[in-house]
Amino acid sequence: MQRRIVVTGIGCVTPLGNSPTELAAGLYSGRIGVGRLTLFDASNFPVRIAAEVRDWDLAAAGLEARRWQHCPRQTQFAIAAGLQAARQSGIDDAMFDRERLGVYLGCGEPFEDFNAFTRSVHASMKSDGGAANTFTSTALRIFDPEVEREAEPDMPAIHLGGLLNARGPIANCISACVSSTQAIGESMRMIQQGEVDVMLCGGAHSTIHPFGVTGFQRLSALSLRNDDPESAVRPFDADRDGFVIGEGAGLFIIEERGHALRRGAEILGEITGYGSAQDAYRVTDSHPEGRGTAAAITRALASAKLNPQDIGYINAHGTGTILNDKVETLAIKRAFGQQAYRIPVSSTKSMLGHATTACGAIELAVCLISLQTGVIPPTLNHEKPDADCDLDYVPRNAREVSCRHVMTNNIGFGGQNAALIVSKYEEGSRTRVAVARAA
Amino acid sequence: MDERSSSQVRVIVTGVGVVSSAGRTVDQFWRTLTDPLHASKSYSRGDGATAGTPRPADFSGSIDDFCDLPDAQRKVIRKALKLMNRETQMGVAAGQQALADSGITGQYDPDRLGICFGADNVAIMPEDFQRGVEACSSADGHFDADRWGEDGIKEVAPLWLLKCLPNMPACHLAIINDLRGSGNTITQRDVSANMAVAEACRSIRSDTADAVLVGATGTTLTTFNHLHAGFEDEIAEYDGVCRPFDRYRTGSVPGEGAGAIVLEEMHCALRRGATIYGEVLGAASASAVRLDRMAACRTAMGSALRQTLRRSGQSPASIGHIHAHGLGTRESDLAEAQAIRDIFGDLASTTPVVAAKGHLGHAAAGSGVLELIASLLALKNGHLFPVRHYIDADPECRVRPVTRFDEPAGTSFLNVNMFGRGLASCVAVAAFSV
Repeated sequence: MQRRIVVTGIGCVTPLGNSPTELAAGLYSGRIGVGRLTLFDASNFPVRIAAEVRDWDLAAAGLEARRWQHCPRQTQFAIAAGLQAARQSGIDDAMFDRERLGVYLGCGEPFEDFNAFTRSVHASMKSDGGAANTFTSTALRIFDPEVEREAEPDMPAIHLGGLLNARGPIANCISACVSSTQAIGESMRMIQQGEVDVMLCGGAHSTIHPFGVTGFQRLSALSLRNDDPESAVRPFDADRDGFVIGEGAGLFIIEERGHALRRGAEILGEITGYGSAQDAYRVTDSHPEGRGTAAAITRALASAKLNPQDIGYINAHGTGTILNDKVETLAIKRAFGQQAYRIPVSSTKSMLGHATTACGAIELAVCLISLQTGVIPPTLNHEKPDADCDLDYVPRNAREVSCRHVMTNNIGFGGQNAALIVSKYEEGSRTRVAVARAA
Repeated sequence: MDERSSSQVRVIVTGVGVVSSAGRTVDQFWRTLTDPLHASKSYSRGDGATAGTPRPADFSGSIDDFCDLPDAQRKVIRKALKLMNRETQMGVAAGQQALADSGITGQYDPDRLGICFGADNVAIMPEDFQRGVEACSSADGHFDADRWGEDGIKEVAPLWLLKCLPNMPACHLAIINDLRGSGNTITQRDVSANMAVAEACRSIRSDTADAVLVGATGTTLTTFNHLHAGFEDEIAEYDGVCRPFDRYRTGSVPGEGAGAIVLEEMHCALRRGATIYGEVLGAASASAVRLDRMAACRTAMGSALRQTLRRSGQSPASIGHIHAHGLGTRESDLAEAQAIRDIFGDLASTTPVVAAKGHLGHAAAGSGVLELIASLLALKNGHLFPVRHYIDADPECRVRPVTRFDEPAGTSFLNVNMFGRGLASCVAVAAFSV
């Protein structure tokens, strides 16, 4: 029989709050985390808004400043969220073989120090027309090795491996905006195939940085509604004009069901489906019919042994760019057929912004919260219908929906797609429950 | 259960491709590793780097470096070249070679073809920002970073960010070859390649793919990666030579390269009459971050070796050779030798150990798969290659580095890699027999 994977710990750091409880409160009160960009002086940038984790304070998050202050924001977020999840799951006190505990995150690229980098470029151009030698000698002088050593995407996973005394695999993956979704899905597969029993998984990212804004702005991906930050992210709305950079972390303890039951852990939900697919179309754009996105959704359903009608809510990628929302809508229709019109679909990026590689993990936390409360969060700023986006996007207000299986879907640059399904945990064999219900 | 009964599934290697300082075709690569004349030649010092830098000097990133391709694919690659940094170019070239070598093109439903790569964080290249910095500089040469948002940003190429994503080698390969299965990129530095092999096997075992293109690419030679490599490890600054396990080793040598292999479910491969390089018997990764550096590496590697042997149904006595990480630093090689000793006991004195970093230097995430391919070629050819620059035995490293050209390869090997923070990954491979 296939090993079942349950969630026993959830941790998050988001623009709406730095714990699952705060996140839930923010989502259901319809708060919007988008505001003026404050993390650096963006006053002359074309984009001056972001969804920041406000008033981030290591001490308030329970982290020792001296140890973590040299780390990028995403590492700090990941440590805080990872420790929350571990604490809730109680695995720190559990007695088990630590070779059976691994870490798999989808943390993104931390950027170099902007001033030190551009100063090094400038020095090299002044002295030898841009040759590498002066760049390197200047950089060696002005970059802080301690900061640089921490500025790697795998450092959050490594640190958390140490903090949890994990002795199993430690990995980080980057597949653009589906990174953390895949990290969770691949963790699930590692447990299913018996390599480990417990995984800390999820992701963290912050691209609210001069390089991040430069990159996304040059790709014309960002909303330019600088004067009205709260209305900037408009998923599936006819007047949408791009996404807003967000940041944060979502981390989970997931484990084999028997392992969780034996140690008496509280089970918060079951991860039942995972699908991943490549568009194999273009690096810049999604396939015009969303074939990769539809394939990921279909594969997630197949791996969960569920039918389209079983899904009660979809947390969409819904970035608020013209192309994403149109293609994602097509893909949902392609994968769900007529059922697509029945399933409520919302994009919480309207409140959280786009936490890039971490978005899937944060949205999985949203899905677990929705399963627990029976209330799904709305798509804010969805006001003006778009003929290309004709599903039920849960506009304006949160909605009570009693459902047992929910899906989160993500899409990334390069044609990356991934979807996860989480289900209410039910005792007994899943197949037996399904058969009993059918009878 | 509609999944393949996962313990029964056998995964085999049916194609290989390389871009390396030892050659940018598989044949050249093997010839260099096994050429007694080559072994006495030294590498020229590279540009910008501080040490002797093994780099694939004949890889220029021009379209002819991407192996012999059908016209349609040449067109797609040529168009995409401006979006590819050097790591991506090398990764794509190695991937194209492996696919061509395996002959799987057109043999499968695209939905059943996956891809999993290992890569490093892509460092921002100074040259991409020169125009922006210039635009923020006054006539007297003063640079004002505060002007960036207004004057600098628009001088950056519109698609610049897409060059910096580590998943680009995998994405380009998926696009060029219509691979629509699962796609992922593991950015876990030196242990990425073996982890990518393990993830691909999981994907085949869970019946989500019939074949997966696995590869890894890396460089420690671009300006910023080079700085980072220096922050992380001892570099053999003084003579620029990597001497794995040698008593007088002084550090690692920056390098670059990429490799790729095609993994296939056995029945699928046999049905189409594929050439078979070997079978992946099992894999495991382990960590011990909390311990101090030396103990962490020794413990993690010991654990990865032990679990890989168990999962593959092998014992130290049945292993033909070990392809060591062999970074060439004092600490790393010692910890590794101790770990091998911990698991192999006295057999560590007789089991041959090779380490291609003596030839190739440290190609970051790319090294692991190049080393795996070197050992696959050794299986195929029946003999190993000497550890380049290994001359004086280190009494503390109680393993047996290969010094001869005719040393038998055996019929199985372990490919191990580690990362100095206490991470290790290992793959067991054997010659294939039904």
